[in-house]
Amino acid sequence: MIISNMFRTGLLEKALDASVMRNDAISQNIANVDTPNYKKKVVRFEEVFNELAGIQGQVSNRRHMPIGDGNHSLVQPQLEEANSWGVARLDQNEVDINVEMAEMAKNTIKYNALIQRLNGSLTKLKSVINDGRR
Amino acid sequence: MSYFKTMDISASALTAQTLRIETISQNIANSQTTRTETGEAYRRKLVVMEEKKGDFTGELQGGINKVNAGGGVRVARIIEDESPLRRVYEPGHPDADDEGYVFYPNVNPVTEMVNLISATRAYEANVTGINSTKGMAMKALEIGR
Repeated sequence: MIISNMFRTGLLEKALDASVMRNDAISQNIANVDTPNYKKKVVRFEEVFNELAGIQGQVSNRRHMPIGDGNHSLVQPQLEEANSWGVARLDQNEVDINVEMAEMAKNTIKYNALIQRLNGSLTKLKSVINDGRR
Repeated sequence: MSYFKTMDISASALTAQTLRIETISQNIANSQTTRTETGEAYRRKLVVMEEKKGDFTGELQGGINKVNAGGGVRVARIIEDESPLRRVYEPGHPDADDEGYVFYPNVNPVTEMVNLISATRAYEANVTGINSTKGMAMKALEIGR
Protein backbone atom coordinates (compact mmCIF):
# COMPACT_ATOMS: atom_id res chain seq x y z
CA MET A 1 0.00 0.00 0.00
CA ILE A 2 2.84 2.36 0.88
CA ILE A 3 4.51 1.51 -2.40
CA SER A 4 1.28 2.11 -4.27
CA ASN A 5 0.83 5.52 -2.63
CA MET A 6 4.44 6.65 -2.79
CA PHE A 7 5.12 5.71 -6.35
CA ARG A 8 1.66 5.98 -7.85
CA THR A 9 1.63 2.40 -9.01
CA GLY A 10 -2.01 1.93 -8.03
CA LEU A 11 -3.23 3.30 -11.32
CA LEU A 12 -0.74 1.18 -13.26
CA GLU A 13 -2.05 -1.90 -11.49
CA LYS A 14 -5.61 -0.96 -12.41
CA ALA A 15 -4.62 -0.49 -16.03
CA LEU A 16 -2.87 -3.87 -16.00
CA ASP A 17 -6.06 -5.46 -14.62
CA ALA A 18 -8.04 -3.83 -17.42
CA SER A 19 -5.52 -5.06 -19.98
CA VAL A 20 -5.74 -8.65 -18.73
CA MET A 21 -9.53 -8.47 -18.76
CA ARG A 22 -9.47 -7.08 -22.30
CA ASN A 23 -7.25 -9.97 -23.37
CA ASP A 24 -9.87 -12.30 -21.89
CA ALA A 25 -12.69 -10.61 -23.81
CA ILE A 26 -10.77 -10.62 -27.11
CA SER A 27 -9.94 -14.31 -26.66
CA GLN A 28 -13.63 -15.01 -26.11
CA ASN A 29 -14.51 -13.05 -29.25
CA ILE A 30 -11.94 -14.90 -31.37
CA ALA A 31 -13.08 -18.25 -29.94
CA ASN A 32 -16.67 -17.48 -30.95
CA VAL A 33 -15.92 -16.24 -34.46
CA ASP A 34 -18.15 -19.00 -35.90
CA THR A 35 -20.91 -18.96 -33.27
CA PRO A 36 -24.28 -17.82 -34.63
CA ASN A 37 -25.94 -14.89 -32.78
CA TYR A 38 -22.81 -14.24 -30.71
CA LYS A 39 -22.58 -10.76 -29.21
CA LYS A 40 -19.14 -9.19 -29.26
CA LYS A 41 -17.66 -8.28 -25.85
CA VAL A 42 -15.63 -5.17 -25.10
CA VAL A 43 -13.88 -3.81 -22.01
CA ARG A 44 -14.36 -0.15 -21.15
CA PHE A 45 -11.64 1.32 -18.99
CA GLU A 46 -10.18 4.50 -20.49
CA GLU A 47 -13.62 6.08 -20.97
CA VAL A 48 -14.71 5.15 -17.45
CA PHE A 49 -11.47 6.55 -16.13
CA ASN A 50 -11.89 9.85 -17.96
CA GLU A 51 -15.48 10.17 -16.78
CA LEU A 52 -14.61 9.57 -13.14
CA ALA A 53 -11.18 11.11 -12.81
CA GLY A 54 -11.77 14.32 -14.77
CA ILE A 55 -9.19 17.02 -14.15
CA GLN A 56 -6.96 17.12 -11.12
CA GLY A 57 -5.12 20.13 -9.72
CA GLN A 58 -1.64 19.83 -8.31
CA VAL A 59 -1.30 20.57 -4.60
CA SER A 60 2.11 22.04 -3.81
CA ASN A 61 1.10 23.46 -0.41
CA ARG A 62 -0.79 21.85 2.42
CA ARG A 63 -3.28 24.74 2.51
CA HIS A 64 -4.13 24.51 -1.17
CA MET A 65 -7.66 23.61 -2.02
CA PRO A 66 -7.64 20.25 -3.81
CA ILE A 67 -9.19 20.12 -7.27
CA GLY A 68 -10.48 16.65 -8.05
CA ASP A 69 -9.97 14.01 -5.42
CA GLY A 70 -7.32 12.10 -7.37
CA ASN A 71 -8.83 8.93 -6.07
CA HIS A 72 -8.71 6.29 -8.79
CA SER A 73 -9.81 3.43 -6.57
CA LEU A 74 -13.37 3.84 -7.84
CA VAL A 75 -12.35 3.26 -11.44
CA GLN A 76 -13.04 -0.32 -12.43
CA PRO A 77 -12.75 -1.80 -15.90
CA GLN A 78 -16.18 -2.82 -17.18
CA LEU A 79 -17.02 -5.69 -19.43
CA GLU A 80 -19.91 -4.99 -21.78
CA GLU A 81 -21.54 -6.29 -24.88
CA ALA A 82 -20.70 -4.03 -27.79
CA ASN A 83 -23.57 -2.08 -29.28
CA SER A 84 -22.99 -2.43 -32.97
CA TRP A 85 -24.85 -0.45 -35.57
CA GLY A 86 -26.16 -3.35 -37.56
CA VAL A 87 -24.63 -6.71 -38.28
CA ALA A 88 -23.09 -7.45 -41.65
CA ARG A 89 -23.10 -11.22 -41.35
CA LEU A 90 -25.99 -13.52 -42.11
CA ASP A 91 -25.53 -15.59 -38.93
CA GLN A 92 -25.94 -12.41 -36.80
CA ASN A 93 -22.42 -12.81 -35.41
CA GLU A 94 -20.79 -9.47 -34.63
CA VAL A 95 -17.14 -10.51 -34.54
CA ASP A 96 -14.75 -9.20 -37.20
CA ILE A 97 -11.64 -11.35 -36.93
CA ASN A 98 -9.36 -8.65 -38.40
CA VAL A 99 -10.49 -6.10 -35.82
CA GLU A 100 -10.01 -8.62 -33.00
CA MET A 101 -6.48 -9.58 -34.08
CA ALA A 102 -5.52 -5.91 -34.31
CA GLU A 103 -7.04 -5.24 -30.88
CA MET A 104 -5.13 -8.17 -29.42
CA ALA A 105 -1.81 -6.89 -30.84
CA LYS A 106 -2.53 -3.39 -29.51
CA ASN A 107 -3.50 -4.73 -26.10
CA THR A 108 -0.30 -6.79 -25.78
CA ILE A 109 1.86 -3.78 -26.63
CA LYS A 110 -0.04 -1.63 -24.13
CA TYR A 111 0.39 -4.31 -21.48
CA ASN A 112 4.14 -4.51 -22.11
CA ALA A 113 4.38 -0.72 -21.87
CA LEU A 114 2.56 -0.76 -18.53
CA ILE A 115 4.88 -3.47 -17.18
CA GLN A 116 7.83 -1.35 -18.25
CA ARG A 117 6.49 1.70 -16.38
CA LEU A 118 5.78 -0.40 -13.30
CA ASN A 119 9.33 -1.72 -13.40
CA GLY A 120 10.55 1.87 -13.76
CA SER A 121 8.72 2.84 -10.56
CA LEU A 122 10.09 -0.18 -8.71
CA THR A 123 13.61 0.64 -9.88
CA LYS A 124 13.19 4.10 -8.39
CA LEU A 125 12.05 2.52 -5.13
CA LYS A 126 15.07 0.23 -5.13
CA SER A 127 17.31 3.21 -5.68
CA VAL A 128 15.78 4.90 -2.62
CA ILE A 129 16.18 1.77 -0.50
CA ASN A 130 19.81 1.46 -1.53
CA ASP A 131 20.42 5.07 -0.56
CA GLY A 132 20.95 6.03 -4.20
CA ARG A 133 24.10 3.95 -4.48
CA ARG A 134 22.99 1.73 -7.30
CA MET B 1 -9.70 -13.35 -14.57
CA SER B 2 -6.47 -15.24 -14.86
CA TYR B 3 -4.14 -16.07 -17.69
CA PHE B 4 -4.91 -19.75 -17.53
CA LYS B 5 -8.63 -19.11 -17.85
CA THR B 6 -7.97 -16.98 -20.91
CA MET B 7 -5.89 -19.78 -22.41
CA ASP B 8 -8.76 -22.19 -21.67
CA ILE B 9 -11.06 -19.96 -23.73
CA SER B 10 -8.72 -20.12 -26.73
CA ALA B 11 -8.13 -23.83 -26.17
CA SER B 12 -11.88 -24.56 -26.23
CA ALA B 13 -11.98 -22.88 -29.63
CA LEU B 14 -9.08 -25.05 -30.82
CA THR B 15 -11.07 -28.12 -29.77
CA ALA B 16 -14.21 -26.87 -31.52
CA GLN B 17 -12.38 -26.00 -34.74
CA THR B 18 -10.61 -29.38 -34.70
CA LEU B 19 -13.99 -31.10 -34.49
CA ARG B 20 -15.18 -28.93 -37.37
CA ILE B 21 -12.14 -29.97 -39.45
CA GLU B 22 -12.84 -33.62 -38.55
CA THR B 23 -16.44 -33.26 -39.71
CA ILE B 24 -15.33 -31.67 -42.99
CA SER B 25 -12.83 -34.49 -43.52
CA GLN B 26 -15.61 -37.01 -42.88
CA ASN B 27 -17.78 -35.25 -45.49
CA ILE B 28 -15.02 -35.26 -48.12
CA ALA B 29 -14.14 -38.90 -47.36
CA ASN B 30 -17.79 -39.92 -47.80
CA SER B 31 -18.53 -37.81 -50.86
CA GLN B 32 -19.25 -41.00 -52.89
CA THR B 33 -20.86 -43.16 -50.17
CA THR B 34 -24.18 -44.35 -51.54
CA ARG B 35 -25.13 -46.61 -48.64
CA THR B 36 -24.90 -46.01 -44.88
CA GLU B 37 -26.36 -47.81 -41.86
CA THR B 38 -29.77 -46.30 -42.57
CA GLY B 39 -29.72 -47.71 -46.11
CA GLU B 40 -29.74 -44.21 -47.54
CA ALA B 41 -26.82 -42.31 -49.07
CA TYR B 42 -24.49 -40.38 -46.76
CA ARG B 43 -25.70 -36.95 -45.72
CA ARG B 44 -23.36 -34.03 -45.23
CA LYS B 45 -22.68 -33.28 -41.53
CA LEU B 46 -22.49 -29.80 -40.02
CA VAL B 47 -21.31 -28.59 -36.61
CA VAL B 48 -23.37 -26.07 -34.64
CA MET B 49 -21.32 -23.94 -32.28
CA GLU B 50 -22.57 -22.11 -29.23
CA GLU B 51 -21.02 -19.80 -26.67
CA LYS B 52 -19.96 -21.55 -23.47
CA LYS B 53 -20.77 -19.68 -20.29
CA GLY B 54 -18.18 -19.54 -17.50
CA ASP B 55 -18.15 -21.75 -14.41
CA PHE B 56 -20.24 -20.93 -11.34
CA THR B 57 -17.63 -18.70 -9.67
CA GLY B 58 -17.06 -16.86 -12.91
CA GLU B 59 -20.76 -16.30 -13.51
CA LEU B 60 -21.23 -15.12 -9.92
CA GLN B 61 -18.40 -12.63 -10.24
CA GLY B 62 -19.72 -11.58 -13.63
CA GLY B 63 -23.13 -10.93 -12.10
CA ILE B 64 -21.67 -8.84 -9.30
CA ASN B 65 -19.08 -6.66 -10.99
CA LYS B 66 -19.25 -7.52 -14.68
CA VAL B 67 -15.78 -8.98 -15.12
CA ASN B 68 -16.55 -12.33 -16.70
CA ALA B 69 -15.99 -12.76 -20.43
CA GLY B 70 -17.29 -16.34 -20.48
CA GLY B 71 -15.89 -19.81 -20.91
CA GLY B 72 -15.15 -19.99 -24.62
CA VAL B 73 -17.03 -21.95 -27.25
CA ARG B 74 -18.35 -25.47 -27.67
CA VAL B 75 -19.95 -27.59 -30.32
CA ALA B 76 -23.61 -27.84 -29.33
CA ARG B 77 -24.41 -30.65 -31.76
CA ILE B 78 -23.61 -32.13 -35.14
CA ILE B 79 -26.56 -32.02 -37.51
CA GLU B 80 -27.17 -33.54 -40.91
CA ASP B 81 -27.73 -31.34 -43.93
CA GLU B 82 -31.29 -32.06 -45.12
CA SER B 83 -30.82 -30.63 -48.60
CA PRO B 84 -31.74 -33.04 -51.46
CA LEU B 85 -29.30 -35.77 -52.47
CA ARG B 86 -27.71 -35.85 -55.89
CA ARG B 87 -29.59 -38.18 -58.31
CA VAL B 88 -27.49 -39.90 -60.98
CA TYR B 89 -28.64 -42.37 -63.66
CA GLU B 90 -26.55 -45.54 -63.17
CA PRO B 91 -28.66 -48.66 -63.82
CA GLY B 92 -25.76 -51.07 -63.20
CA HIS B 93 -25.10 -49.77 -59.68
CA PRO B 94 -26.12 -52.15 -56.86
CA ASP B 95 -27.77 -49.21 -54.97
CA ALA B 96 -29.82 -48.09 -57.97
CA ASP B 97 -33.60 -47.80 -57.49
CA ASP B 98 -36.25 -49.33 -59.79
CA GLU B 99 -35.83 -46.55 -62.35
CA GLY B 100 -32.05 -46.97 -62.41
CA TYR B 101 -31.21 -43.86 -60.41
CA VAL B 102 -28.57 -43.81 -57.64
CA PHE B 103 -28.64 -41.21 -54.85
CA TYR B 104 -25.25 -39.70 -54.15
CA PRO B 105 -24.40 -37.63 -51.01
CA ASN B 106 -25.22 -33.91 -50.93
CA VAL B 107 -21.53 -33.12 -50.44
CA ASN B 108 -20.06 -30.35 -52.57
CA PRO B 109 -16.24 -30.64 -52.51
CA VAL B 110 -15.79 -26.92 -53.23
CA THR B 111 -17.95 -25.91 -50.25
CA GLU B 112 -16.07 -28.35 -48.05
CA MET B 113 -12.66 -27.01 -49.11
CA VAL B 114 -13.75 -23.42 -48.46
CA ASN B 115 -15.04 -24.41 -45.01
CA LEU B 116 -11.78 -26.24 -44.38
CA ILE B 117 -9.77 -23.10 -45.10
CA SER B 118 -12.10 -21.05 -42.88
CA ALA B 119 -11.69 -23.54 -40.02
CA THR B 120 -7.91 -23.60 -40.42
CA ARG B 121 -7.74 -19.81 -40.29
CA ALA B 122 -9.93 -19.70 -37.19
CA TYR B 123 -7.65 -22.30 -35.58
CA GLU B 124 -4.58 -20.20 -36.39
CA ALA B 125 -6.22 -17.08 -34.97
CA ASN B 126 -6.78 -18.87 -31.67
CA VAL B 127 -3.19 -20.15 -31.61
CA THR B 128 -2.11 -16.52 -31.98
CA GLY B 129 -4.41 -15.70 -29.06
CA ILE B 130 -2.78 -18.32 -26.85
CA ASN B 131 0.70 -17.10 -27.79
CA SER B 132 -0.30 -13.52 -27.03
CA THR B 133 -1.66 -14.49 -23.60
CA LYS B 134 1.46 -16.54 -22.94
CA GLY B 135 3.63 -13.53 -23.81
CA MET B 136 1.68 -11.37 -21.36
CA ALA B 137 2.01 -13.98 -18.59
CA MET B 138 5.74 -14.25 -19.16
CA LYS B 139 6.05 -10.46 -19.15
CA ALA B 140 4.23 -10.32 -15.82
CA LEU B 141 7.00 -12.46 -14.35
CA GLU B 142 9.38 -9.60 -15.10
CA ILE B 143 7.64 -7.19 -12.72
CA GLY B 144 10.15 -6.02 -10.14
CA ARG B 145 13.11 -7.78 -11.70
